[in-house]
Amino acid sequence: MGRKLTTHPLSKVINLSFIFFAVMPIVYTLGIALFDDSLLYNLQLIEKETFTLLAKSCAIAFTVSTLSTLFGTILGFLLYKTNILFRSFFKLVLLIPLFISPYILAVAWKDFFFLFFNTTSFISSNTGVIIVLTIIFTPLAMLIIGSALSNISSQLEENAIMTTNIRNVIIKITLPLIKPALISSFVLIFIFSISEFSVPAFFGVKVFTTEIFTQFSAFYNHTLAIFQSLLLIFICISLLYLDRKHIGNSPFLSVSDKGMKTKNYSLKNVKAWSMLFLFSWFLISVLLPFIILFIQSFKNDASKFIQAFELLKPTFINSIALAFFGAILIVFIGFSAAYQSAVRSRKSFDWILLVIFAIPSTIYGISLIKFYNQPELNFIYSSYAIILIAYVGKFSFISSKLIANAIKQIPNSLDEAAQVEGITFFSRIQKILIPIIMPSLFTAFIISFIFSLGELGTTIMIYPPGTEIMPIKVFTIMANAPQSLTSSMTLIVFSITLLLITSLYFIVKFFTKKFSFVNG
Amino acid sequence: MVNLKNITHYYDNKSVLNNLSLNIEENQLTCLLGGSGCGKTTILRLIAGLEIPESGQITIDNRNVTEKQKLIIPPHERNIGFIFQDLALWPHFTVYKNIAFGLTERNEDNVRNTVFNMLDFFGLQEYSNKYPHQLSGGQKQLLAISRALVLKPKILLMDEPLSNLDVKLKRKILEHIRKIKQDFKLTIIYVTHDHKEAFAIADKIVVLDKGKIEEIGTVEEIKKSNNKFVQYFLEY
Repeated sequence: MGRKLTTHPLSKVINLSFIFFAVMPIVYTLGIALFDDSLLYNLQLIEKETFTLLAKSCAIAFTVSTLSTLFGTILGFLLYKTNILFRSFFKLVLLIPLFISPYILAVAWKDFFFLFFNTTSFISSNTGVIIVLTIIFTPLAMLIIGSALSNISSQLEENAIMTTNIRNVIIKITLPLIKPALISSFVLIFIFSISEFSVPAFFGVKVFTTEIFTQFSAFYNHTLAIFQSLLLIFICISLLYLDRKHIGNSPFLSVSDKGMKTKNYSLKNVKAWSMLFLFSWFLISVLLPFIILFIQSFKNDASKFIQAFELLKPTFINSIALAFFGAILIVFIGFSAAYQSAVRSRKSFDWILLVIFAIPSTIYGISLIKFYNQPELNFIYSSYAIILIAYVGKFSFISSKLIANAIKQIPNSLDEAAQVEGITFFSRIQKILIPIIMPSLFTAFIISFIFSLGELGTTIMIYPPGTEIMPIKVFTIMANAPQSLTSSMTLIVFSITLLLITSLYFIVKFFTKKFSFVNG
Repeated sequence: MVNLKNITHYYDNKSVLNNLSLNIEENQLTCLLGGSGCGKTTILRLIAGLEIPESGQITIDNRNVTEKQKLIIPPHERNIGFIFQDLALWPHFTVYKNIAFGLTERNEDNVRNTVFNMLDFFGLQEYSNKYPHQLSGGQKQLLAISRALVLKPKILLMDEPLSNLDVKLKRKILEHIRKIKQDFKLTIIYVTHDHKEAFAIADKIVVLDKGKIEEIGTVEEIKKSNNKFVQYFLEY
C-alpha cells in the first residue's frame, strides 16, 4: 500500500474530544440500558405496545420520502436541467422550508384550515403530518437530485440524443445516472421523517418519537424510552449504512454548481405548465404559510403580535449567539473530519459523525441528559454548553460533507508543492487550503447556523431551566396559548429566519466572489 | 546523486514498482520514459519524499533519505524542486506570492530582489501582480519552474510538465529547461510518455514498463536498442 504521510496530533485531539463530548453520551446511555434490572420487563413492553406505532411511523416516513423524492425530482429537473424562467430565484426561495423549523409550517397549515374551513381535523392527522413533512423535505430532495443532475456531463446525454428521442434519453440515460442521488434522497428523508418530533407533536398525532418523548418526560420510564430508541437507531443506521455502501463517495450534499458542462433541455410546449407547477409549489411551501401567519397574527388587532414580540424579545440575542458559536464549532469539527476523510483517506471519524447524525433528535437529547446529569458533569448539564454539544453532534456531519466536497475538488499537488518547499502543516492549512475552500466554509457555517437556530427535537429535551431560546419558547408557550399568539410568535421566528437567510446569502455571495480564484 | 536500491511499492495492494534499482547522475537530465501506469510518477514522488516505499532504500547525495518504510529526511530537507503535472500553482496567490511563499528569508527587500531576479530571468516581471488564471499556458509553465528554482534546489523533478502545451510552445520551454540546467547546475529528472520529447532534451533515458526498467542509455543507445518493448514503444 502507498503510505500516507504526516498525521497531525491535533486531529487526534479533535476526534477524541468529539467522541467524549458528543458520542460518549450515546454509548453510556445504551450501556446502562443493557445492564438495567428491568431489561426483560421492558423488552416485553416493547413487544406488546410498540411495534404498531413503529409500523405507523415507518409508513408515514415511507410516504413522505416517496412523495418528496418525486416532487424533488420534478423541481430539480426543472431548475437544474431546463431553461425555465427565474431559475436562480426559485432555486433559492424553494429551499426556505428546509431552513425553517418544521413546526412553523405546521402552525401555518393548521391556521389555514382553521381560517378557511373552521376546523383543523383534516390537518391534525396522519395525512396532515405527511403533507407538512413532504413540503418541508422536498427542497432537500430537490437539492440532492438537482446537484446530481447538474453534474452529468452534457456529452453523455448529447450522445444519446443523436440516437433516440428526448423522452428515452431522460428515462434511459439521465434518470439511471442519478440513481444514487434518488436513493440518497429517499433514505435521508425517510430518516428525517421518522425522527421528526415537532410536527406530529403539534398536530397531536401519536408516532414513535412522541411515544419515546412521553415515556421519557411524562412517565419517567427512561429504560423503556431507551429501548424504543434502540429500534429507531437500528433502522436509521442500517438504512444509512446501506445507502453509503451503495453510493460510496458521491457528494450527496453539494451546493456548488462547479463542474462539467451540462445539457439543458428546452421545455417547449410544457413551459407554461412547468411555470405553473413551480409557482404553485412556491405558493404552497413559502408564500401561503407566510400570508396565513400574517393574517392570523393581525386578525383583530396588533396586540397579540406585540405580546408575542415582547415574549420572544429576550430570546433573540441568546438564540443567535448560541447558533453562531454552535456553527463555528460545527465548521471546525466538520473541517477536521473532512480533511481526514478527503485528504488523508481516513473515514472512521466520518462514520462516527454519520452515526450521530442518524440518531433521532429526541433520542440524542435523552442520551445527553443521561450522560451529563451527574455531579461531575453538572457544569455542562446546567449550562448552554449542553445545547452547543447537541448542535455539534447533530450537524457536524452535514458540515463535514459540504467541506469534504470542496476539498476533493482541490488537487493534492497544491499541498504537496508547499510540502516540498518546507511550508509547515499549519501554514499549509491556513494559507493554502482554507483560502481556497473559503466559500464552502462560509456555506457550511451558514447552513449550520440556520439549522442550529431552528433545532428543537434535541433542545426540547435538554434545555437547562430558565433557557431563553426561540424554538423552545415558542414550543412551550404554544401548548396553552391562543391561536393568534402562537401564529404571531411563529410569524416572528419565520421572519427572523428569512431575514437571516437573506442577509447571510448575500454575505456568502460576496465571499464566493472574493475568493473565486480558479474560474477567474 | 540519486540512488534507488531494490525499491518495491504498492498502491491499493497493486504493485507499481517491483524491486527497481536506478542511479541518477549529477548534472544530467534523465528522462523517465514509459506508458501510463508504468511507475514513472511514483519514482518522482518517492524521490521527493511524498511517499514511502514498501521496501528498498533511497539515497540522495549519499544521504539515506528513506529506508525500511521510514522517512528519514522529509521532502523540504532534500533540496529538491518539484514541478507537478498540473503545475500546482496556488490559485489564490499572485505570481509574486507563488514564488515568494516558500522563501524563509525574513528581510522583505531580499525576498523582493530574489523573486524579481527570478521573474526577470523567465520574462515574467510584468505579470508579478497577476493571478495564475490570468496567465497563458507557457507563462504558467515558467511560473512553476521559477517557483521551484527560487529555493535553489540541486535536483529538479518534472512530472510531464509539458503535456498540455502545443508543439511550438513545448519546443520553447524545452530550450528553457536545457538552459536552466546549465545555468543552475541542476540534476533534472524528467518524466514523460512522449519519446520525441525525451529525445529532444535527455542526456540519459530510462525506459520503464510495469514497474521495471526495460532499458537505460543515451538517446542514441535507446534508438538502437534491441529490447522488444523499447522498439514497440518507440514505434508509436
